Amino acid sequence: MSVRMIARRLGSKLLPRFAPAATLHSHATSFGFKEVNEEEKSQLVGNVFTKVASNYDIMNDLMSGGLHRLWKDRLVSKLTPFPGMKHLDVAGGTGDVAFRILETINSGRAMDDTLEDNLQEETQIYVCDINPNMLNVGKKRAQERGLGNLGSLVWVEGDAEKLTFNDDSMDGYTIAFGIRNVTHIEKVLAEAYRVLKRGGRFLCLELSHVDTPIFKQLYDYYSFSVIPVVGELVAGDRDSYQYLVESVRRFPRQEVFASMIADAGFQQVEYENLVGGVVAIHSGLKI
Amino acid sequence: MHHHHRSAAIAKKLLLRSSFFSSAKQIAPAPPLCCRFRFISSEPPFSHHQTPNHFNHPSPNTNTYTDSSSTPPPPQPPRARPTPTPTPTYEEEQARVLAASLHHVIRLGWSEAAMIAGARDVSVSPSIVGSIPRKEAALVEYFMDHCFQKLVDTIDSDDDSQFKDLVPSERIANLIKLRLQMQAPYISKWPQALSIQAQPSNISTSFKQRAMLVDEFCHASNDEATGVDWYLKRSIVGGIYSSTEIYMLTDNSTDFDDTWAFLNERVRDAFDLKKTFQEVKYFAEAVGAGFSSSFQGFTKKGC
Repeated sequence: MSVRMIARRLGSKLLPRFAPAATLHSHATSFGFKEVNEEEKSQLVGNVFTKVASNYDIMNDLMSGGLHRLWKDRLVSKLTPFPGMKHLDVAGGTGDVAFRILETINSGRAMDDTLEDNLQEETQIYVCDINPNMLNVGKKRAQERGLGNLGSLVWVEGDAEKLTFNDDSMDGYTIAFGIRNVTHIEKVLAEAYRVLKRGGRFLCLELSHVDTPIFKQLYDYYSFSVIPVVGELVAGDRDSYQYLVESVRRFPRQEVFASMIADAGFQQVEYENLVGGVVAIHSGLKI
Repeated sequence: MHHHHRSAAIAKKLLLRSSFFSSAKQIAPAPPLCCRFRFISSEPPFSHHQTPNHFNHPSPNTNTYTDSSSTPPPPQPPRARPTPTPTPTYEEEQARVLAASLHHVIRLGWSEAAMIAGARDVSVSPSIVGSIPRKEAALVEYFMDHCFQKLVDTIDSDDDSQFKDLVPSERIANLIKLRLQMQAPYISKWPQALSIQAQPSNISTSFKQRAMLVDEFCHASNDEATGVDWYLKRSIVGGIYSSTEIYMLTDNSTDFDDTWAFLNERVRDAFDLKKTFQEVKYFAEAVGAGFSSSFQGFTKKGC
């Protein structure tokens, strides 16, 4: 076991020396496998999500075989929400993670009753997204789920790289399937660090890298041959889904991303691979 | 000085052994295709420890992967207790939260609710509870370590020879009584703590903690057993401790007088048992010899 630990450490020591600066620069100027200007990237990504907003949830179900629900459940259970929590869900567009957090708090019995009732009124979940179309879809879904008129759910249009929230104001910060699409990852991480309180947690759910030999080939085949075709058939939009699968490949690897999170100041940085690395949940703690 | 040295050494041992603090655990990852019908297999988290930027970043690309128990980075003077570090590590903060949570255990049990209340007390966001692995178990283990530390300190600072003057049997009884009295305030919630310790994921740590405790009892009573006797003595003391602990759960007498009477009885029995152990050994040998000869006779006769 100790040999593996040493090997991991050596291997990981080599990686950051070669990767971070190059990775960050390439992330800011990559749109899938295409090279674009930094200024353009935000625009291009915005166009993608404006187009996919209406079919976003159906496509998620189709592409992941319904697994994305389980992944989001896992994300929320790792967060362990509590009544009276102030939480920020960034790139939370259609609201999946926010709804789960709210439902967990409302159904949980974390404390004795009188205190809990008072605190449940204080619970605030902010859903922040740069794209108004995604927010609108989310608001509609909230209405359907009966969470529409709760004061606890607040929809905010904003940029993850420049949040409008105060320093040290949030107990939790989640970003699910969003960090892949930002232009400057390190700015997003810095902003996350800024808005979190002491003891606050950062959690990131994202499609990530698969290493196991045969499974990797299957996954690549599925990503490049099946997903864009399904996108064409269901949403009439092959290019957006081509962008999606390409952007997954361009995103930094689990260990590199973990070191970026640590660079932003977080402690206890860990990641958990789900489905052999198809999805990874990274977490960090602000002290 | 010897006391401080021993306390520090034991504290370090606790830090290294107690799974609460060892967040650099690496378990062999399960191959993802091993279970055909399970779609989600998770690899255990890869722990990356990093103290804040302004400490150990001579260049932006260097990352230090530090163990929770390793030395601080070179530019800083060696981290001694009296000098406060500007930003505490997450383990320290988690320990502070757990310490504060103990006050709420009597009311809320060994649960996340107690830990959330504890976090609020030390003005840290209750989200930190989510980052503590095996939450309630961490709280129980912290309490066990805390009591163990108190026990060691009491033994080491035994200036008035409270223990040294006693015969071994009384010494062990007193030590066990001392340790169990630390649990007395939490007795209403102690069954919950025991059930948490008995869970499969927690049992290895609780076993280790109890083993250390029993070792301390035996060591403090100047145990000179060797060989098989070493194990024998520890298992007997362990048995006495566990049975007294469980007896205490249902004891309603004032100041747990019945429990201490029970304890004294058990210790007396054990020491009597030691005397008769030789006799039992001879008896067992005799029985064994008799049995094997009759078995030989049986097989010779054939069927």
